[in-house]
Amino acid sequence: MEDHPGPNTCHDTEETKLDTKPSAFSPEQVQHAIEHAIHYLPSQGPIAVFVHHNTLHAFEHLPFELAVIEGWKKYGAEPYLSEDRYRQEFLRGRIAREDIEQVLAKDLDQRAEQPIVLGTTRYELRLAMLLHPIRNAPEEELRWFIAETKALREFRDDVSPNVESKVIRSVQDWMERNSKVTQQVTQQFTQQFTKGSKSEDPTAASSPEQWRAWTLAWLHRVCIKGASLVGEVLNDAIPVRRHRDIVLGSHGIDCDVCVNEQLIRFLGSATDQGFAQWGLPDRDRPLFELFQELYGVRSIFQPGWLKELSDLIAQDRASDRTSIESIVHSLESLGLREYGLDDFIDSTLLSLPGWTGMIWQLETNAEWTPRPLRDGSLQDYLAIRLLLDRASLRSALGQIAEIEDQPSLQQGSLSMERLAQVLAFHQRRNVRQTVYQRAFILFQVAQLLGWSPNELESLSATEWQSLMDEISHCGTMERRRLLHLAYERHYRNEALDAIASQPAPVAVAVPTKASRPISFQVITCIDDREESFRRILEEIDPAVETFGAAGFFSVPMYFRSSSDAHYIPLCPVVIKPKHFVDEIGQLSQQELQRRQAEARRVLGQASHRLHMGSRSLAAGTLTSLLGSLASLPMVARVLAPRLTSRIRELVARVVKPSQATLLLIERIAPETSIDAAASESAHYREAKLDQEAKLNQGFTLEEMANMVERLLGDLGLHRFARLVLILGHGSSSLNNPHESAYNCGACGGGRGGPNARAFAMMANDYRVRKILQTRGLEIPESTCFVGGYHNTCTDSVDFFDIDRLAPSRHMDFLQAKSLIDQARERNASERSRRFTSASLGLKPPEALKHVEARAEDLAQARPEYNHASNAVCFVGRRLRTRGLFMDRRSFLTSYDPTRDGPGSEILTRILQAVIPVCAGISLEYYFSTVDNAVYGCGSKLPHNITSLLGVMEGAASDLRTGLSQQMVEIHEPMRILFVIESTPRAVLEILAKNPGLDRLVSNRWVQLATLAPDSNRIELYQDGGFADYQPTSSAIRVVADSYACYHHQRDHLSFARLGVQ
Amino acid sequence: MSSVLNCLAAIVLGCPILTLLILGLSGLIQRPLPEQLVDRLTKFHVAMGLVATLGILGIMIGTNHSMEVLDLGNFVEIGQEHFHFHLEFIFDRLSIPMVLMTFVLVGVIGSFANIYLQGDAGYYRFFVCFSMFLVGLLFAFLAGTIETLFLGWELVGLSSALLIAYFHERTSPVENGLRVWGIYRVADAAFLMAALMMHHWTDQGEFLRMVNDQPWPQGTSHLDPLASLSVGLLLLIAAAGKSGLVPFSGWLPRAMEGPTPSSAVFYGALSIHLGAYLLLRLAPIFADSLVIRVLMFGLGALTAIYAAMTARVQTDIKSALAFSSVCQVGIIVMEIALGFWYLALVHIIGHAFLRSLQLLRAPTLLRDYRTLENAIGGRLANGQPAWIARMANHRQIQWYRFALERGYMDSMIDQALLKPFRKLFKAFERMENDWLRWFEGPSRPRGQDP
Repeated sequence: MEDHPGPNTCHDTEETKLDTKPSAFSPEQVQHAIEHAIHYLPSQGPIAVFVHHNTLHAFEHLPFELAVIEGWKKYGAEPYLSEDRYRQEFLRGRIAREDIEQVLAKDLDQRAEQPIVLGTTRYELRLAMLLHPIRNAPEEELRWFIAETKALREFRDDVSPNVESKVIRSVQDWMERNSKVTQQVTQQFTQQFTKGSKSEDPTAASSPEQWRAWTLAWLHRVCIKGASLVGEVLNDAIPVRRHRDIVLGSHGIDCDVCVNEQLIRFLGSATDQGFAQWGLPDRDRPLFELFQELYGVRSIFQPGWLKELSDLIAQDRASDRTSIESIVHSLESLGLREYGLDDFIDSTLLSLPGWTGMIWQLETNAEWTPRPLRDGSLQDYLAIRLLLDRASLRSALGQIAEIEDQPSLQQGSLSMERLAQVLAFHQRRNVRQTVYQRAFILFQVAQLLGWSPNELESLSATEWQSLMDEISHCGTMERRRLLHLAYERHYRNEALDAIASQPAPVAVAVPTKASRPISFQVITCIDDREESFRRILEEIDPAVETFGAAGFFSVPMYFRSSSDAHYIPLCPVVIKPKHFVDEIGQLSQQELQRRQAEARRVLGQASHRLHMGSRSLAAGTLTSLLGSLASLPMVARVLAPRLTSRIRELVARVVKPSQATLLLIERIAPETSIDAAASESAHYREAKLDQEAKLNQGFTLEEMANMVERLLGDLGLHRFARLVLILGHGSSSLNNPHESAYNCGACGGGRGGPNARAFAMMANDYRVRKILQTRGLEIPESTCFVGGYHNTCTDSVDFFDIDRLAPSRHMDFLQAKSLIDQARERNASERSRRFTSASLGLKPPEALKHVEARAEDLAQARPEYNHASNAVCFVGRRLRTRGLFMDRRSFLTSYDPTRDGPGSEILTRILQAVIPVCAGISLEYYFSTVDNAVYGCGSKLPHNITSLLGVMEGAASDLRTGLSQQMVEIHEPMRILFVIESTPRAVLEILAKNPGLDRLVSNRWVQLATLAPDSNRIELYQDGGFADYQPTSSAIRVVADSYACYHHQRDHLSFARLGVQ
Repeated sequence: MSSVLNCLAAIVLGCPILTLLILGLSGLIQRPLPEQLVDRLTKFHVAMGLVATLGILGIMIGTNHSMEVLDLGNFVEIGQEHFHFHLEFIFDRLSIPMVLMTFVLVGVIGSFANIYLQGDAGYYRFFVCFSMFLVGLLFAFLAGTIETLFLGWELVGLSSALLIAYFHERTSPVENGLRVWGIYRVADAAFLMAALMMHHWTDQGEFLRMVNDQPWPQGTSHLDPLASLSVGLLLLIAAAGKSGLVPFSGWLPRAMEGPTPSSAVFYGALSIHLGAYLLLRLAPIFADSLVIRVLMFGLGALTAIYAAMTARVQTDIKSALAFSSVCQVGIIVMEIALGFWYLALVHIIGHAFLRSLQLLRAPTLLRDYRTLENAIGGRLANGQPAWIARMANHRQIQWYRFALERGYMDSMIDQALLKPFRKLFKAFERMENDWLRWFEGPSRPRGQDP
């Protein structure tokens, strides 16, 4: 404690510098800085509506490789997987040596062949460092390693015997040639390593082992010599942005701990959406006022630092400061300078990113929540945070002063400079890479490249320097970047090869022309989870045609089901729906439904009382005395989830709304409101929405025709079967706060059933068809649309309005349904292979039962795997990918280039929707996988729902955003590859016209390739243009069917062609 | 008959111990069993234990016995020091319901956790702690002597602290685990002192001897009032620490750091009742001491009111449930003080089941709320009681802050207990340093590290 000079010494030397007064900030400056910081906040809103989006959206203007490094600097998050992970992938065959070689050669380009030392080129050096792990560790550990392990007795395991013997021979030759020098130089080594060998001449009598040990010891010594000749290489120092970093770095006191604990409690109350029974009094006032009111007075037993806080609040109140004035004052008293302002405010707001982001979301983007926040809340929050920071910092400095006997610190100002000197002293030791560490890296590289010590002895200091520079340029971040590129290249080549191996379109197009009868057509979402479903359907009946379109089926609407209280938007988040659709009971059922609704209301209120009461004093006593009854449902639900849910369903049928409902999709004049029950909730906050709903109920026929025309045009659907099924999708699971993330992304985290149902109703409407006919789109009278809903968790498919099918269609429908039922079982079986709790030998019917049980199991942390492992998005005709096993990793969007206009209008609107959505999903998965702790929300196991807004980890933590570990554990993080069936020219034109898309593509957030509409020619997007892609291998695995492909396999599968061609 | 009973009793205790030994030892020699085997082993042993307990219950009802004692003799005996560690287990009206509840809850949570934690890095660690917890609970509930109870009590404490710190790669679980451990130590110290005093005054630790071999809840103690008061006070402190009564309530929400199932069964349902169980078990001994009963009632009432208030302002589901649990435990303690022992027993068991179910379902909260909202047809009223609304505004804010900050109980413990304690030891450290420096002779010049 007394041995170091202490912070005081540092202060004195720099006293002159401290004279400069901290800048005074204007409110505008501060506001500007806050606006700057907002971009870096996570943009995830309340968790009940989970929308996938690029986690690093704030950096989209930068190229991907730069952005991930910026993210690393800003959030401290990993940019790529760890080097070890890539090496594991290498060993598993997910990266080939060739991938690394190609990627490196392309990356170095001209500079590849430049020699570094001893005739080794840059390419060779880097390749060695990429193919083999280069370890580094603290010096103490390395010394131990050298002394205690075989490091100086045997070459690394990954050095080939050839290289090894070459090096030893070279040493032997050199010794023979320079025997005199040798004797001198090696005297001490001989003593040490031949372990008392009698021989005078070390070279003559040594065994191979001794030679090896001898060579290595010399090599190591040479490396130490070399390393001592080169200049310093700095490790990355702890970034210093806030005062807290400094105190943490110097004394290990984390001022944020108590501040965060305090803030989490306060913010939980201030943002609560109705969980707490006793809410913050007068919570409609500004946050800053609420905070002052709550913490302005001292309270008995409060921790010491809160006393500082109430003093600070009292000061603020005395000078009557608004929140912005308080911020300015805080910044001044923290000694902030202008140049550090942005950075300081960013990092202050990012010290609790989840909560801060939520405040911003509630302030600006959440008018649909029960309790949004007022304008200016984020600014209030910053003022509060700074007050708390100051209080905590003061108290920490008090502690330090106590420890170090430095009264000056206690009274001293909190200026950054002053504290920075304290830190500088404490950090100095840790920053440098020591000679020993550098030598160890050189030692490893030398072994890998087969450099012999005698050659290295001859290097000059400049050569050593350039070698060391070269090595540090290929540091761990650079190696991870290259390995990641190789990883992506491997999968990309597999995917493109598989697509290129499909029969060329002309050949396939012929049989379709010959009007082979289509048994029925299925339209699903483009979702990767539907890939297997579609493939299996086509497999069961080759005469089935399937299509993929964004799952809201171009019907954007607010929807309220007959048992729902509120309207929910069902469309992509970028669209704001203008129309309202209600589900109501059929006329004959309305009385029954009214009674059921009443019963539900009574039961609901009773169970709500029970729920609340069990947490209170008197009612809680009563409920707990009867609590033994709770053992029944608990035991039943945990031990037999599927059975229990069946029984519950049977019981619930009494009050469950019957299926006999109608969608009010047709425009109704505002005054003729049919349903009384629908307008009941007018006195709630949604009143405004309800008002709007009355005015915009339903669509006009014209609007319906537009929507139908648009979707059919997008799909390129022009030959109609007698039956067209259109399936929206969603997912249901228990004990899953992230449930909405599993739903349809194109429905804004909602369930797409109603959209499919509405679309089918519109397309069936003869008046709509008439309008379409005038526009040249003829839907045959024999064709009939049926809407449905596919639950991707339980693999159930429900159909809507089948009672209205004409009797002549019953057979068609029943046949189709039986095929769908088969497909459900097979799909469940294909999905089950991924679940470790499902045995690999499950038969399809058992698999279906298994997935049904998963959805109902309270204990199930992985009800389904959602989009995990998504990697490709194909935009084009299904026949270009039909019969290809894509392992549920591909989004499939239907688009027919032969029916698109010269300006590619259809492709434009498809890409405008598909690229941002799929890129959002892919990138969210990417970031949540590469750093689950920062970008993701960590393990699901300790999650704790708070304020009905999001989840915390355990008792109290930041609000966690992103995806959980259980959701991404099987994901392979790579940027999504779009394969678009179109010409490069058309795609480039679209990019030029759409800067939003161009930004994603040219900054390499996504990969892009085109597939020619008339041949198998593939071109890959590179640096603003397209280059020909040469398929690497023509042989693709051929298997009988999907089952043969995935049977008894857990891991990722390669592409395969199904059926014998 | 009694040999059958002994046999069954041995199964009740032996099966969980066997699980713990197998899991613990195979973990120690770095050969952890595969997940499936762990699951089967745990399930099998819990089922055996449950069946055996039911068997004992059946025989006891059939033969109209109200008590069965399993005496394993002295674990340690040092004659000349008058020290003995006596292992004795009682199956009676109090312990059998508790053991049945334990087996059912632990069994259910065990199979829950098996799925929930599947593939998690800490799966094995969880089940080792889990079986240690079960053994501890059984020892505590069945204990016939105060030293056996202490043994179980310690095992429960240790496994709880380890499970709170389950996610040890993050700091806050470890810190909170340590904090809970610290409070448990205070409770343990009080307990240990009480046990020693009891031995001192009665020369034994057997509960039965103390109440003249009468089965629970009959019998009265023959402790003199002073002894009974001091022992009672210490045991009250021990129970308060373990059951999160005022002023120790702050640890329970902190215990919610572990995976959901362990939070549910351990802190929500089982270990939170351990203190109440201790009071219940020893209630006949203190039945005559009015002072103790008044104090107990007061502590219970204070806890219940405090926790009911605090629970109302919590905004996260797990803390809200934690404080609701504390509130009910406060009421249970009041019931014990008033002499309604059977009521307290029913209350404990009912509460344990209810809370476990609620905690297991906690992650479903959003969905439950949505279902309720849809059923009711609007936003849910949050049920703020009228008496709060009637309070004057500044009073409301004061009390709200009190509840939001959890009454600053933790900070109070820090300031009243921890700070003086640390100061004392810092002073010792200084003294030692001074002494060493004097011993070393003249100091070296500053700044030169050896």
